[in-house]
Amino acid sequence: MQREVGTLPLAPALRARLAAAGFQTAQELLDTGPCGLSKEIGISREEALEALQVVRQECHGDAARTAGGSAAARKCTALELLEEEQTQGFIITFCSALDNILGGGVQLTKITEICGAPGVGKTQLCMQLAVDVQIPECFGGVAGEAVFIDTEGSFMVDRVVDIAAACVQHCHLIAEAQQEEDHRKALETFSLENILSHIYYFRCRDYVELLAQVYLLPEFLSEHSKVRLVVIDGIAFPFRHDFEDLSLRTRLLNGLAQQLIIIANDHKAAVVLTNQMTTRIGQSHSTLVPALGESWGHAATVRLIFHWDNCQRLATLYKSPSQKESTVPYHITSHGFRDVQPPAVTHSAEGTEMNPRKRPRTEEEKH
Amino acid sequence: MAAKKLRRAQLSQELCERLSRYQITTCQDFLCLSLLELMKVTGQSYYEVQKLLGKVSRACAPKMQTAYEMKLRKSVNPSSVFLSTTLHCLDRVLHGGVPCGSLTEITSPPGCGKTQFCIMMSVLATLPVTMGGLDGAVIYIDTESAFSAERLIEIAANRFPTYFDSDEKLFCMTRSIHLYRELTCCSVLKRIMSLEEEIISKKVKLIIIDSVASVVRKEFDTKLQGNLAERSNFLARGASVLKYLAEEFSIPV
Repeated sequence: MQREVGTLPLAPALRARLAAAGFQTAQELLDTGPCGLSKEIGISREEALEALQVVRQECHGDAARTAGGSAAARKCTALELLEEEQTQGFIITFCSALDNILGGGVQLTKITEICGAPGVGKTQLCMQLAVDVQIPECFGGVAGEAVFIDTEGSFMVDRVVDIAAACVQHCHLIAEAQQEEDHRKALETFSLENILSHIYYFRCRDYVELLAQVYLLPEFLSEHSKVRLVVIDGIAFPFRHDFEDLSLRTRLLNGLAQQLIIIANDHKAAVVLTNQMTTRIGQSHSTLVPALGESWGHAATVRLIFHWDNCQRLATLYKSPSQKESTVPYHITSHGFRDVQPPAVTHSAEGTEMNPRKRPRTEEEKH
Repeated sequence: MAAKKLRRAQLSQELCERLSRYQITTCQDFLCLSLLELMKVTGQSYYEVQKLLGKVSRACAPKMQTAYEMKLRKSVNPSSVFLSTTLHCLDRVLHGGVPCGSLTEITSPPGCGKTQFCIMMSVLATLPVTMGGLDGAVIYIDTESAFSAERLIEIAANRFPTYFDSDEKLFCMTRSIHLYRELTCCSVLKRIMSLEEEIISKKVKLIIIDSVASVVRKEFDTKLQGNLAERSNFLARGASVLKYLAEEFSIPV
């Protein structure tokens, strides 16, 4: 009630007039009433009423916050958080080594960033996750839907069909092995058409469309409350070219990161971003580092870097609050993202298992 | 989408006028400002500004489609999804051929046959759909002056002797291949920007650029300081326009 007039979210012109008239606290405004206010400052009665309603809303929110009884209060004990985290689901990636280093899979309510050179498998993993988020709970999944925001145009529906078909097959095998009633019931809804119709696809052509889409996301997520995964494939692409003002870019990126954190927390969704690599030219050598600069590195909670090592794809956990840094190999097969086959079982893992869509990697193509 | 004027975003007339005094006329300018700046510029309260942001965002946000709808659309006409290269092994590896609606890049050391491949693809694109082509025109942007019309006719006559049995058919095919010789980066970019209207008017079904690297390497010396950024700028801009064209018209590039 003792809040200063200057801190209220009113229009600046109105604030200036209130200050000129000598009002200092919100309580004074409320005491004056709309008619008195309109006469003193020289605004219409409707405007005065609107302003008072805003003030009342703000003060009510303040009071509730100080009383600690509002649901908007964000403090809770670490024990409650621990219980919440333990029951929280993970989105598996079908590559058990990668799931292990991530601590179970991609975590909900956190932002995961995947960086890598072109062609290493970032979009493949995103498509795999968009399918995996829909796995029913009895099979160990999260039973959610996915939002896929594509800025590079690399989303191939046929590939998602392949991945989804393999996933459904996998679940069928598990259900047959275990023969439980709820498995069978879940499988009825876990079909190819259902999986595809629960992936919501947005194609953003430049950064303005991306900004607009992220502003509208909270509304979309409240309408589709089962969404548990938001993928932004290519957050670097629209921001890397055609941006003369680097400080504007940093500001927009930070704003985006804040909004995504809020979205992740409010809707209990996992946010996955893919980033490109850029070359940092040092004194004597140059290294590949994630694009978009140092300040962007603080946006993601978990950072995975995908890279090559002589025809083998490796994933490194670069930044994580709870897991230690490690590197694992992975494979991309025609069924999607998978573990590397142990060498004793098949020797032809490199050749035949490679996805026929991907161009074969040769040494000369590294640049 | 970004350059959409605020007037068309259903904002009120007086608000648009007020914003244009601060040089904010497009959605891009509006969305790049922070909330406090927007409050100052529009003279509205916090909640009002959020509502305005919602309105402007809705005006430029992309439309939602589910993956299922995309699949249905593709399965409706499967022939328009790939352009077969008539090399069976290559087609098998590519899952059908050169995909329509996305960019395909062919790289190799000199002399391996990139230009020959491009010439052959232009012939294939002009064939009718029943023969595995796209029945449309071709835009060929040549930066190395390596395109030879005689070779084009030779390939056509030898590969499909039954189809190109008369001179008339050959002329018809050559008429639908539009060749542009561009020798500098600027002209290439300008040409790419102007392609949208040509595609519609000439019913183009394939765009070939041979080659992107030669003109870029000629003009930008990466050892000089600012050139790397400019070069990537140019390439990225060209790439995004080409991607847009490929997706919008569902043609291979």
